[in-house]
Amino acid sequence: MNIEVKNLTKTFEEFTLDDITLKIPKGKIVGLIGENGAGKTTLIKCILDVMHADKGEVTLFDKRYHGSLKDDIGVVFDNSFINETFNIKDINLIMKNIYTNWDSKLFFKYMKEYHIPLKKEIKRLSTGMKKKIEIAVALSHHPKLLILDEPTSGLDPVIRSEVLDMFQDFVTDKNNSILLSTHITSDLEHIADDVIFISHGKIIFNKPLKDIKEEYIMLELAHEEYDKFKKNIIIRAKKNRLDYQILIHKKDMLKSYEKYIKNITTLDDIMLLYIKGVSICED
Amino acid sequence: MRGLIIKDILFIKNTWKNLLIIFIGSLLLSIALGNYLLAICSVPIILLTSGINTFQTDEFYNTDAYTLSYPLSRRKIVTSKYLFTLVMMLISTYIGLMIYASINVVINPGVRGLNTDMLKQLLMLEISSLLVDAIFYPIIYKYGCEKSKFVLMSIVMLLLGVGSILSVYINIFKKATVNFEGIITFIDNYGLISLTILVIVASLISYGLSILAYRHKDF
Repeated sequence: MNIEVKNLTKTFEEFTLDDITLKIPKGKIVGLIGENGAGKTTLIKCILDVMHADKGEVTLFDKRYHGSLKDDIGVVFDNSFINETFNIKDINLIMKNIYTNWDSKLFFKYMKEYHIPLKKEIKRLSTGMKKKIEIAVALSHHPKLLILDEPTSGLDPVIRSEVLDMFQDFVTDKNNSILLSTHITSDLEHIADDVIFISHGKIIFNKPLKDIKEEYIMLELAHEEYDKFKKNIIIRAKKNRLDYQILIHKKDMLKSYEKYIKNITTLDDIMLLYIKGVSICED
Repeated sequence: MRGLIIKDILFIKNTWKNLLIIFIGSLLLSIALGNYLLAICSVPIILLTSGINTFQTDEFYNTDAYTLSYPLSRRKIVTSKYLFTLVMMLISTYIGLMIYASINVVINPGVRGLNTDMLKQLLMLEISSLLVDAIFYPIIYKYGCEKSKFVLMSIVMLLLGVGSILSVYINIFKKATVNFEGIITFIDNYGLISLTILVIVASLISYGLSILAYRHKDF
């Protein structure tokens, strides 16, 4: 395992990351999804010891946690990066004195690919370019594990696709893995092996993406159709002005329900129904 | 650890235009006043207190979370800041000496208002700046830059309050009188050495407190 978290708990005044247990196996991309404030960033920060957990244990690369293990971890945070008065050459100079395996050639190769000027201050670059620099920094010291918090936010679709390809290339080495927290769940639909869904500080599910897609289906029913619908198979239901969106297990699907399938069920639909919908029967 | 020291030095290097403006301003003022202490000391003192600026910039760019993702222990991160201050002490002393020599040689050999006592004063001011750093650093590590301003202001107000109360009692009971002449003679004779000892002790305590504060900090 590249990450193993056991019973991790972190309590704030109005929020608790509650008893989180998870594993990030080698060779896998694991997506972390959930609404804003669900606890994704807190979980990532606790894994990296940026925040102290109140309870629980974090193991990295099958070893008890210690600082030098971070030499093998590449990190992108949502809202934190190096001083933006620096330019690319400055960053290279700093990083090669921080990471043992820093690869300047690889870093400058990324900069060339991304068309990033070497002498311009980072603060004068676009949001997308800054993000690309963060990703390049995360990759340029040959890490075994990437921990990424919203790595594709601010990127245009073309670059996003390139970055996602890079992530997939990264896990072709079976020792590598990625924990990827994102709001853009469509990104995960293309690359994630497993998905962890967190809501209000608790894990709702932690399953292979394939299983999630095979397990759930969303139906859209008119109000009068919903009233007549068999309630004991509905996991979650969300009332809209014109219809109801409901989530059921695929195993409960009947031929007669097929007319209620309006779209392919996405991770976004499942997440939305879990967060905004009402629980009708136990999952 | 070396990377973090380089990071802070690069940040200071990027502010060279501001430092140049300050130096030119203080030089012109010194020429007008006929005393070159300001020209000699302004840039070195600013460099020495620049450690506090690096905290502010890190806070502005949310760099702390990122720094904690590096393969460095929290102790090493704190140590790097103190080592950076030590490096700045060496650099600022060198710059101070260079400015002194330049004014002495280039502008006006044997100029009035320029004497070797100024080098002693430069050192004393530098050591005093280190004392300011030693007081500020643990408070910033504990509370961050924004809150630290209020904490420091509260400490100053508290000290002023205690001082006022004490001065009232001293006057009432007439148990002690302040011998200013004696204090000045003491500073003149032993100021540099006693200030150095004070700063070394204060810096060691400050380092320990900073590690303690940073060890428990969440970002």
